[in-house]
Amino acid sequence: MRKLSKSEKKIERGGKNLVILGVLSVIIAMATTGVALAIYHNSGDIYLDRSRPGFLPDEEEIEDENEEKDGETEYVFAKDGNLTKEDIEDFLKNLNKEIELIDAYEKPFGSDVLSDEHLGITGEIKIPEAEAAESVAE
Amino acid sequence: MLKRCLLVFCGVLCLLTCATGSVFAISAEQKAMIADNCTVIREDLKKVQRSDARARVYLGGKYELILNKYVTPLNVRLVENSLSSVSFIENQNTMASNKMKFANDYVEYQQRLEELVSMDCKNESEAFYKKLEEVRTKRKKVEQDVKEMRNSLTKFVELVGKLKETLNAKTK
Repeated sequence: MRKLSKSEKKIERGGKNLVILGVLSVIIAMATTGVALAIYHNSGDIYLDRSRPGFLPDEEEIEDENEEKDGETEYVFAKDGNLTKEDIEDFLKNLNKEIELIDAYEKPFGSDVLSDEHLGITGEIKIPEAEAAESVAE
Repeated sequence: MLKRCLLVFCGVLCLLTCATGSVFAISAEQKAMIADNCTVIREDLKKVQRSDARARVYLGGKYELILNKYVTPLNVRLVENSLSSVSFIENQNTMASNKMKFANDYVEYQQRLEELVSMDCKNESEAFYKKLEEVRTKRKKVEQDVKEMRNSLTKFVELVGKLKETLNAKTK
């Protein structure tokens, strides 16, 4: 049998190395993705990210955001310059607008939604919507 | 004498155990309700989770905007105009720490809520209710943070109102 030359041996090993490289890169990619997901979860960003499935904004919300952009020019309070009574009046007017928007959010984190009554733990047995629809159809 | 003391001690211990136990005690009826309504309760909790995420993003965004576009620039300008006061700086610090507290408490609350949603309420109704109580406590904390933030906003508006009066008097 003919002995393989150095370059032929290299080519033969190269194929194996390519497979090892592929496997290693997949393992590294999985490990780094895992670490990234763990950080994403532990940092609490997962609870704010509304781009994740089920947390996409509603259609009306998208319209609202656009309306805001089409509206008046954004108010900016300059960090420098002489401070006058008019500046403060303008400042207060715009600040109150923002506070009104905060107040418009009804009962944020109110305790009623987790009450026994709301969850149906004290009242009558609830039937899931899908099951109720099925029973009506029958 | 020793016997009597021991008896009284045991009695007090029994009372204390009963009192603490009753905090999480649920009736057999409630247990049955949780098991029977399990699917609906979990659906409701998921809805709460989604609407809370919206509230957190909305309110957090507004707090950030007020701090960055109103509170901080005004304080910088006050310093430049030699009108700075301790109350304005104190208020800014309170607002910043309230905002931070709100964000941290919200994460803690959501972590508990997620644990609750993933629990098997059909077979572990008692543990489920116990966790629900925990979630309620965390939610109350977040609600309190929102109220505290609103109070610091009111105080900020008051301070700006007083500043307006000062500037008014100066121009006269």
